[in-house]
Amino acid sequence: MRIPDWRGFCTPSPAVKLVEALEIGRRARAATGEPLPVLLACGFTPLHVATFLGAHLQRRRPTRPVQLFTGLFGDLAGTLETHGTPVEAAVAVVEWSDLDPRLGVRGTGAWGPSALPDVIASVERAAGRLRAALERRAAQAPVALALPTLPLPPLGHTPGGRASAFEDDLDAAIQALGAWAVRHPRIALVRARRLDALSPPGERLDVAAEVRTGFPYRLSHADALAELLAALVAPADPKKGLITDLDDTLWRGMLGEVGSAGVRWELAGAVHMHGAFQQCLAALAESGVLVAIASKNDPGRVDEALRRADLRVPRERIFPVEAGWGPKSAAVTTILHAWNVGAGDVVFVDDSAMELAEVAAAHPGLECVRFPVEDPGAAWALLERLRDLFGRPHLSAEDGLRLASLRERAATPAPAAGTDGFETFLAEVQARLTLDDTPDADDPRALELVNKTNQWTLNGRRFSEAQWRRLLAEPGAFLLRVAYEDRFGPLGTIAVLAGKASPDGLHVAVWVMSCRAFSRRIEHQALRHLFRRFGAAELTLDYERTDRNGPLQEFLAGLPGWRSAPAGTCLRRADLEAACPPLHHAVVATGPAEAGKEGIP
Amino acid sequence: MTDARARLTRCFTAVFPQLTDDAVPTAALATVPAWDSIAHVTLLAVVEEEFGTPVDPDEIEHLTSFDALLHAVTRGAAA
Repeated sequence: MRIPDWRGFCTPSPAVKLVEALEIGRRARAATGEPLPVLLACGFTPLHVATFLGAHLQRRRPTRPVQLFTGLFGDLAGTLETHGTPVEAAVAVVEWSDLDPRLGVRGTGAWGPSALPDVIASVERAAGRLRAALERRAAQAPVALALPTLPLPPLGHTPGGRASAFEDDLDAAIQALGAWAVRHPRIALVRARRLDALSPPGERLDVAAEVRTGFPYRLSHADALAELLAALVAPADPKKGLITDLDDTLWRGMLGEVGSAGVRWELAGAVHMHGAFQQCLAALAESGVLVAIASKNDPGRVDEALRRADLRVPRERIFPVEAGWGPKSAAVTTILHAWNVGAGDVVFVDDSAMELAEVAAAHPGLECVRFPVEDPGAAWALLERLRDLFGRPHLSAEDGLRLASLRERAATPAPAAGTDGFETFLAEVQARLTLDDTPDADDPRALELVNKTNQWTLNGRRFSEAQWRRLLAEPGAFLLRVAYEDRFGPLGTIAVLAGKASPDGLHVAVWVMSCRAFSRRIEHQALRHLFRRFGAAELTLDYERTDRNGPLQEFLAGLPGWRSAPAGTCLRRADLEAACPPLHHAVVATGPAEAGKEGIP
Repeated sequence: MTDARARLTRCFTAVFPQLTDDAVPTAALATVPAWDSIAHVTLLAVVEEEFGTPVDPDEIEHLTSFDALLHAVTRGAAA
C-alpha cells in the first residue's frame, strides 16, 4: 500500500519491482500447499499484470502456490465464458479496446465523426456481452473486476480539454456496468479513486510497449492495479477494535491542563483533524468496530469531557473507557479482556511514539499507529488507512449487536464458573439457542465467522469461498449454525460447525465460536445436537492445537473421554453426556433434518 | 562493471529460474530453451526497470545474450 503523506508508526508496503515479483513467483513454485488457482481474463497480453498479480496474491496467501490461468489475446468475454479449469477466483481486467478495438492504441479503424455513433453502439453491445459473461463466471467463482483504467484515444472532433457527448456516452456505458457489478454479491470492483491515488491516470499507458508487444501498461500501473485486484481476491482479515488515546489524538489539548471545555476539535484553529478522527470513529463504531479509550488522565475529568454534546463520536459508542495513571499497556490489557479479542485484531492510535512503543512491546501483534498532530494531510491519510484496516465488503446483523452484548456482559458479569451462583445465573438467563442445519453455503456470516475466529477454533484453518463451497458440497456434508440470545439481548449467529457424516463416521472439520458466546455451554449443546441428529455414538474432530485456541483446548481437557485417533480427535457420545454439565437453553432446531422441535433437552 | 554484472545476473535468474548463476554469463537465445518471445519481453522490461534506462527499440532484436545486454546497460550507464 503506498499512500502519500501517511506517516504512521507502521510502514506501508512498498511497490513491487518486476524482478522481485518474478522471484516471488519462483519461490512459490517450490511451495507444497494446496494450489490457489485463479483465472486472469484480459484482452491484452497479460505479461506483467500476470507476474504482479501472482506476486501480490502469493504475498497474501503465502502457504498456497498461486496458479494463474489466462485466456486468448483479444477475447476477454470469451475467456470468462469458456475457460474450463476450475478456479477459486477470476480476475477480469477490462480496457476500452475490449469494448471496441477502435478505442485502443492498436486499432486502426475509423475515428471520424461519422463513426462515433457506431463506436458507442459497439461499446454498449460489448458491455452487455461482458455483463452476461461476468454473471456466468460469478456463478462459478468470485470475480474481481477492473473497468477501463487507460485514457481514451484522441478520437472525436472536440478539442482535448472539452468534454464531448461521445465520451460521455462511453462513460455512461461503463458506469452502468460498474453500477451493476458493485451491487453483485459475488463481484468485487476495483475502486477507481484508490487506483487514481496509487497510479496517476496520466502515467499509466505505455504506447511503445502496446505497439511492440500488445501490453499497454507501464510497470508501475501494472503493479498498482494487480495489488488492488489481489486485495479483492484475497482480502486481509479486518481488524475488530480500535483503542484511542485522548489528549492530542481524540482532541487537541491536555485535558488535565485546560479542562473539559478547553479541549478542541472544531474547524477553526487548526484542530479540525481531531474532529475528523472522531467522525471516522463514529462511522467505524456504527459498522460494528469496537472503539475504546486508553488515556493517562483523571477518570472524572475524562467522563466529563466525553459528555460534551459536540463530541462527534457518541459516548455510548465507546467501550470501555480506561483512564488512569498506569501504563497504557495495562489499560490495553484491560480493554482486550473486556472485548475478549486478541491483540492482533486491534489497532491502537496515539500521538506519542513513546506510548506506542510501550504498548507495542507489551502486546506483540497489536497494530500501533501514530496520530500526526501537526500534519492535516497525514491525518487524512490515517483515516484512509483505518478504512483499509477495518473495511469489510458486507455488514451483518451481528455487527450491530456486538457492542451491546459486550456492555451487557460488563454490566452484569456472570459469577465465576463452578460456583452455585454461576449455575443459577445460567438457569435464569433465559438462554435460547437456534440450531440451524440448513446447508446454506451462501450465508456470508458463516464463512466470515470461520475466517475471523482465533480463540474457539478447532484448527485455525481459513477458507476461501471456493474451498468453503467445496467442503459443503461433499457427499454427506453438514453445516450447523448456532444463534444465541438471552434476556440481555441477541448475539446473532455465534457458532458454526461443518463436516461430513458418512458410513465411516461423523467427522467435524470446522468448529468456531465467537468469544462473546463463551461460558454459556453452547459447545456442549452443539455437540449433543450433532450426536442426536446423526444418531452417532462417536465423532472425530479435526483438532489441531494453535497458539490461540486455548479456550477450545480447555474444553477438550474437560472431556476425559477424548483420545487421539488416526482420523482425528475421537469423542464418544457417552463421554460427552457423562461430562456434560446442566444445560439450561431453550433449543429451537431448524433445517431439513428438523421440524421446529422446541424444548429443553 | 561488477555491480552491473551482478544486477544483470539477478535479472536473468528471475526470468529464467532454471539458470544457475554460473550458467548466466553464457546464456543466449540459442542456448536457453525457455527464451521465447514472452521471456524476451519480460527480460527487457526487468532490465529496463533495474537499470532505469529504456532499451533502444532498434536494438531489441539484437539483445539476445547476456553479453549483449551487459554491453547495452554498461554503455547506457557510461552515456
